[in-house]
Amino acid sequence: MQKGVPSGLELGVEDHHPSTPAKPVRPGEAAPYAHYELSAAYDEMFTPKGHVRAHYGQLDLRLLTLEPDELLRRQQACEQSFLHQGITFTVYSDNQSTERIIPTDLLPRIVTGAEWDRVERGLKQRIQALNLFLRDIYAEGRVLKDGVIPRKLILGSKHYRREMRGVAVPHGSYVNVCGSDLIRCEDGHFAVLEDNLRVPSGVSYMLANRDVVRRAFPNVFRASRVRPIEQYPNELLATLKSLVPFQEDVSIAVLTPGVFNSAFFEHAFLARQMGVELVEGRDLLVNDNVVYARTTSGLKRIDVIYRRVDDDFIDPLVFREDSTLGVAGLFNAYRAGNVVLANALGTGVADDKAVYAYVPRLIRYYLSEEPILDNIETFLCREEKSLSHVLANLDKLVVKAVGESGGYGMLVGPHASQGEREEFARKLKADPENYIAQPTIQLSTAPTYVNGGVEARHVDLRPFILHGEETRIVPGGLTRVALKKGSLVVNSSQGGGSKDTWVLND
Amino acid sequence: MLARVADSLYWMARYIERAEHTARLIAVKLESMIEQSPEDAENSWIRVVAALTGEEASTTDAHAITQAIAFDRTNPSSLVSSLRFARDNARQIREQLSTEMWEHLNRLYLSTHGETIRSVWVHQPAQFFRQTLEDLFTLDGVTYSTLRHGEGWRFLELGRYIERAQLVSRLLDIHFGIVAPGYKNPPPPPKYFDWLVLLKFCAAFEPYCKEYTADLRPEKIAQFLLFDAEFPHSVRFSVDRVVESLAHVATGAPPNRRAACERLAGRLKASVDFGLIDELSGDSIDNFLVNITRQCEQIHDAVYKAYIAYDAETVL
Repeated sequence: MQKGVPSGLELGVEDHHPSTPAKPVRPGEAAPYAHYELSAAYDEMFTPKGHVRAHYGQLDLRLLTLEPDELLRRQQACEQSFLHQGITFTVYSDNQSTERIIPTDLLPRIVTGAEWDRVERGLKQRIQALNLFLRDIYAEGRVLKDGVIPRKLILGSKHYRREMRGVAVPHGSYVNVCGSDLIRCEDGHFAVLEDNLRVPSGVSYMLANRDVVRRAFPNVFRASRVRPIEQYPNELLATLKSLVPFQEDVSIAVLTPGVFNSAFFEHAFLARQMGVELVEGRDLLVNDNVVYARTTSGLKRIDVIYRRVDDDFIDPLVFREDSTLGVAGLFNAYRAGNVVLANALGTGVADDKAVYAYVPRLIRYYLSEEPILDNIETFLCREEKSLSHVLANLDKLVVKAVGESGGYGMLVGPHASQGEREEFARKLKADPENYIAQPTIQLSTAPTYVNGGVEARHVDLRPFILHGEETRIVPGGLTRVALKKGSLVVNSSQGGGSKDTWVLND
Repeated sequence: MLARVADSLYWMARYIERAEHTARLIAVKLESMIEQSPEDAENSWIRVVAALTGEEASTTDAHAITQAIAFDRTNPSSLVSSLRFARDNARQIREQLSTEMWEHLNRLYLSTHGETIRSVWVHQPAQFFRQTLEDLFTLDGVTYSTLRHGEGWRFLELGRYIERAQLVSRLLDIHFGIVAPGYKNPPPPPKYFDWLVLLKFCAAFEPYCKEYTADLRPEKIAQFLLFDAEFPHSVRFSVDRVVESLAHVATGAPPNRRAACERLAGRLKASVDFGLIDELSGDSIDNFLVNITRQCEQIHDAVYKAYIAYDAETVL
């Protein structure tokens, strides 16, 4: 504990502090920030000179007055709550299974209302354009005829579903739930890193994080005037209902691959929060192109399926025949218009890493507007000029395989060895169409509770956009954090955790 | 309600009931063996193993038996396995349970699944089983007051009481019937102290005394544990709950699909409602008890055929 800092530990005490500190605390000075290091990356809490940004003022005051033991106790309380709720994955060793929680961080990541409002407008614009694009390529293909995007890139994509041509989709809304990954660049503005248009996950962690962090910092939360997010399940339900516009009593189900899926917690969570049935493929059957669930009393018709099963596995009669997760005949029922699937099938064609590079052009083409949110500069290796630039600058760039996700099939140039770079160069030359490259991006850093103190760790942001009859976004989203010092990989499969995200009413 | 959900609720309740029964038998046995001669304690352990596993014990050592029936993860009927299966079933239908129920069961699982005989045996081993029982009672109360008493709750009740009727019947059979067909070393007939222990195995000692005073007589004990209408661990009470639950599940199913379950349950109810202990002596009590177990199995099969694993073609 620093000299002269009041040591009020009681929950109520923090309210008596002035709303802004007399003298800003700089990283490296006061106890909790002793190991906080600023880098070239934008820092969410501190200015480059080390002053606390105004919107972090309340949290800063609280951190300065908390004993280190108390921070630890609150972090443990968060983790304990996750364990009891079952927000865990199972590790097997020696015939023994251990439950590990999905890592969560105590300290919220804070965004101002003004910043968020711009992001929200940008995301709405983006999903509108992407849905128009999907409707176009599964209908007349105007965008291809006009040469805005190469025909081969779309029709040759493994995620393009020929079966979807001519299928009527309610409100032309193909992507009903979208999770776009945003990063904050060095100059402080948000840019889109990728769109997840298939079965994006993480929204349950957003809500679970809010629940535990609000309990850990009740007074900071109240004083900061944080915008609520608890309405998400309700808005998802409204979005799903809007897909069957003229029906009073809509029967909705969440389709999960089952209890062994890593996102099962989320599927059960959303079904429970929306008050709808959680079903597995084996619970459903199709008769005369109508989908039914097997209940104790007999069969019950299902109108809308929020499916958390990938395209490939959804119907063994049409897609992968070895799938046991899907429902035989589901696609025909869908084509016949007797059931709505959310998201629609075939949306993966638009979140391909190569198509990503065209999204700003698609926004201009369909909406005649300038994109509000930037893309990261992207080199398409399919273009000869770009390929030679990429090959010449492999040590500075991040190269990604087009069809992969989750941080796989990727070369991080600056961190790779000479040998790894040479091997990747060979792959690139052999199959340039399969790769794109981007400059190494410094994700912004945010205060994170590690090693008993507060340190800077890299973060991104995944907001969840709902699109049906109207577009809805709850403020914020899931902040993912790379818990390893200096690491830029936030994926949960590779040592990432998550944080609560506070959007303030400025 | 989804058929798969009903299936998981039903089995979740059966495993919880089995865990409760196992925990109580071990707790009572560990507490009572202190007052018994070594031979009497050994014979009593043989009955406990026979009641829980249906097999002849390979050892009469209290430590080894407790390890096998409480903590052996490879033994599917051990206490920790029952709790694991209960929790696995609950996890699959997490969205159907109240948060209070799920978190209580999950905490109970997390706090017991890593336990070993070594950590429990050092100080008052019975204490661990008493604590587990107390947690299971809390779960029961949490379930009663936080879950809607709709079809899901009825399937929980159905599972619990079908299991209880069978467990108590088997326990009675081991004490009253031909103890152990084909056992190499069958235990001798129970002594006075064993009747007392039997009542405690069924949480019945105090309720019995209130009804029949502390005068412990085998035929009255049988009367109480089989035919008492108001004691929650009697066979008759359990059968009543089975009948009641069945009347409230799958209410949308047409009468022809409901017929088999209702007929079987009604027949079982009649036999325990109108049974007379004076008519059951020697072989006939043995047959009577085996018959109850068999009828419970038939009800189980009928429920699955009618409501859970039915052929979809038959309802289209």
